[in-house]
Amino acid sequence: MSISPRQLPPLSHLQFLALGVLLTGDEPGRVIRDVVASYGVRRTGAAFYQLMARLERDGLIEGWYEPIVVGDQAVRERRYRITAAGSRAWRQTRSFYETVAAAAAERRLSNA
Amino acid sequence: MPDRRLGRLLGALVPSHIAADAFEPAWEDLRFAYLTRRAAASSGLERVGLLAGYTVFALLLLLDCWRLAMGDLFRRREPRPALAHPLTTEPKQTERFAMFLYLVRHAFRQLVREPAFTVAALLTLALGVGANVAVFAVVEAVLLRPLPYANAEDLVILNHRDQRTGITKEYIAIGDYVDLVAQQTAFEGLAGYGRGQTTVAEGDEPYRLNILGAAPGLLDILRVRPVAGRLLQPEDSREGASPVMMLGYKTWQERFGGDPSVVGRTIRLEQSERQVVGVAPPGFTFPPNATTDAVIPLTYPTVAPPNRRAGWSLALGRLKPGRTLEDAARNLTMLSRQMEKDFPQSNLASEYYPLDLRTALAGNTKPALMLLFAAVGVVLLIACANVANLLLARSLGRRREMSVRLALGAGGARLAAQLLTESLVLALVASVAGVLMAYWGAQALVALLPQSGNVPGLDAVRINGNVLGFTLGIVVLTTLVFGLVAALTVRSQKAVAVLNTARGSSMSARARRATSMLVVAEVALAIVLLVGAGLILRSFASLLAVDPGFRTANVLTMNLRLPGNRYADRAARDGFYQRAFAEIRAVPGVREVGAAVVTPLTGNNWTSAFERPEHPVPPGERPPEVGWQVASNGYFKALQIPLVSGRLFDERDTPQAPPVVIISEAIQQQYFPNESAVGKRVRQGNQTAEIVGVVGNIRRAGLRDVPRADMYFPFETNQPGQISLFVRTSSEPERSLQAVQAAIKRVEQYATVEDAQTLAHVASESERVTRVVLWLLGVFALTSLALAAVGIYGVMSYAVRQRTREIGTRIALGATRRNILWLVLQQGATIAAVGTVVGLATGLGATRFLSSILFGVSKTDPLTLGGAVVVLVVTIMLACYVPARRAASVDPAKTLADQ
Repeated sequence: MSISPRQLPPLSHLQFLALGVLLTGDEPGRVIRDVVASYGVRRTGAAFYQLMARLERDGLIEGWYEPIVVGDQAVRERRYRITAAGSRAWRQTRSFYETVAAAAAERRLSNA
Repeated sequence: MPDRRLGRLLGALVPSHIAADAFEPAWEDLRFAYLTRRAAASSGLERVGLLAGYTVFALLLLLDCWRLAMGDLFRRREPRPALAHPLTTEPKQTERFAMFLYLVRHAFRQLVREPAFTVAALLTLALGVGANVAVFAVVEAVLLRPLPYANAEDLVILNHRDQRTGITKEYIAIGDYVDLVAQQTAFEGLAGYGRGQTTVAEGDEPYRLNILGAAPGLLDILRVRPVAGRLLQPEDSREGASPVMMLGYKTWQERFGGDPSVVGRTIRLEQSERQVVGVAPPGFTFPPNATTDAVIPLTYPTVAPPNRRAGWSLALGRLKPGRTLEDAARNLTMLSRQMEKDFPQSNLASEYYPLDLRTALAGNTKPALMLLFAAVGVVLLIACANVANLLLARSLGRRREMSVRLALGAGGARLAAQLLTESLVLALVASVAGVLMAYWGAQALVALLPQSGNVPGLDAVRINGNVLGFTLGIVVLTTLVFGLVAALTVRSQKAVAVLNTARGSSMSARARRATSMLVVAEVALAIVLLVGAGLILRSFASLLAVDPGFRTANVLTMNLRLPGNRYADRAARDGFYQRAFAEIRAVPGVREVGAAVVTPLTGNNWTSAFERPEHPVPPGERPPEVGWQVASNGYFKALQIPLVSGRLFDERDTPQAPPVVIISEAIQQQYFPNESAVGKRVRQGNQTAEIVGVVGNIRRAGLRDVPRADMYFPFETNQPGQISLFVRTSSEPERSLQAVQAAIKRVEQYATVEDAQTLAHVASESERVTRVVLWLLGVFALTSLALAAVGIYGVMSYAVRQRTREIGTRIALGATRRNILWLVLQQGATIAAVGTVVGLATGLGATRFLSSILFGVSKTDPLTLGGAVVVLVVTIMLACYVPARRAASVDPAKTLADQ
């Protein structure tokens, strides 16, 4: 499915950022949260996972719990992987920004 | 620590979709961060800091989840604009809900807008709620949660007391037991039981089992259903019956792999072989907190034997349907009177009585818990009074806001609803914080209480549905209390009057009276707790000053048990003890080694009849009972019990030599008042024993015990396979513990050494309940004192602000600073005086609940009552002094110029 240059992208900046982290493979939630935070987007733990839950409900990512051992105790880590629909939405969003960027550059050149 | 159980508990406090989406993964991340940092922490202090920090994070996470939940709701249902206006028609259901959501959001905003008020109110309330929930969680587990038996409320334990001495015992003589079982009419069944340990000598490595000895009917009374094989039957208890046993479920699983064919197999337990006839169901133990690895039948005679003195077994009964504890008590009293008539020499003044199972198991923990529960209730009331005061003061600042709303047409009910919602939100948030505090508070309380193996439920204290229900009750109660305050403030609004007043921020007379009354109540409640804590402090001081009659310092004690199959005969035991004592004496730092059967200060009440052959007890009368102990020569030396006259036991006292005893000074004074007891004889069954020595009195059962008449029998002639060992050392006894245990193991590797501790620790543990109650009641009393001081400070500060103009005028007219200081202090003193009088009257009534804990101090001890009043009055006057000084420093020129 292609996106029309006139159509707004399906993802917000934050969703785009989170899905981007998952393009290279599945990751635990706290790693995604750290990457998002490195872009200056500070979300509380609960708010971040609510965002991820919405992405899951939209079928853009899949989440599951994986047990890991820290010290002498077991912790259940929430991990995520991107779905085909998620990859598609991410590409469409990127293509939107690229199109907008190209159009802007063209206008600058024509105005020059 | 943020563990999984707490996670589930907190998760249950937020809406389910938020719990699943946001709370759960965020909670696991929190645990990950906490555990990672804790693993890297290098000191205990750092770990405590981490725990505190992550507790706060846990609370913030919970609040954040609620923020998200509210956000979800508000996104879906924005309040209708009409709601801000007076409602002329009955609102629809959905509108009511939307209005409620609006009010909740408004309440949250209001709390955020006034951080000083919010923090003060939340901290005060969370403290009150946390203390209540923590104590309730323990009360719920120990006193309210059903015991793990069907219809456990019908189960009773039999006790008997000697009405002459007041000494109570649980062990019943076999003769009495047989008669009671046959003649009682109140119980569906009555059966004896006993606990013990045995060694299974199978395979390469022998192992120990905790066993329950069951008389016929015990398992039926407990409604036990076997998972394999059958229950023990009455014929298994007959004399000469082939030895059988039931396995506990855990033993069956762990030792026999859950193999059903174990039923019918024979297992060797020390000297005897027993056939397994069945397996108990999972989780079965009796008593509830003990471990039951196996059940064996107690041999039970069909005809009552003549022994009616020595205790044989404990007894459990189940009330017949429709019968009460009082019915059973009446039935047992009647049977006691009959036995007293039939067997006066053993049963005179002996009375049997029933105790419900829970009371019997909880022991002195029950009154202590009830006392603490009452105390935290008082703390909550004081906290509520304080927050109510804060609300009243806060309502002043919002008076204009309220008046404007009233003037615009909002009804009184609408404003009250808004204030009530604010109270509800405050109470809810405080309760959540309180539950978090209680989660750890309850664990700390359990750690403080004595770990008597019998107290049921102490190992299963948790914040469950019942505890959360109780918390909800507190929320409703506190909301109602504050709701009353809200109603009061709304009723006192006179919209037009306030709007017309330039300085419309004074409190109405009604609100002023309410504030003063709240502080009077706080003072009164604080003094109740202060009196209670003072009385217990004095009791504890009295207990510390008690001389038990022996020295507890530098003495190590432990229980030593020999494997029965290797030490069945006396000569083998004698050989072991001689070698073991020699090895222990050779340990560096050991000065004395002694052995006895009873460890002092552990509540033991074993007694023996005392009778002089030259003064026989007339027929139809019962000889007096004196304390019974088997002790070695070294026992007296290790405990430094002084020899008053005669000699201690020594090498002359062999099994072949004539029987001898040692008596305590109390026996000398009571039964040999004008003569020397040494050389005299006492009756022992069919023979007599010579008194060879008199030793000092000791408080045997506990520090609260009176110095006892005790009779000691020589360990040298009567060496049991299980003894208490006493080792006096020249320095800290703990240092010698390992060497002493190694010395015993060198002589017999299968000897069991248990409960090794110092005698000083035994003495301290014997009064642990008193110490815990003192500590906690002290904390609660100081908290209530601080809250009362804060309350009165607030009232006096407000009063001074209100009277600034009047005070300025007075100073201008010639009043001195001292006059003004006194004027303000007088007002505080009036509140303190009324509160003290009410509090003392209440406190004197309440001290009767302390009677089981007090020692060496009267319930109306004038020193304690006076001390409590002084502490309270001084604190209150100090709290009043700051506003009084502020009043005295009012500048009349400035005040009058303002006018």
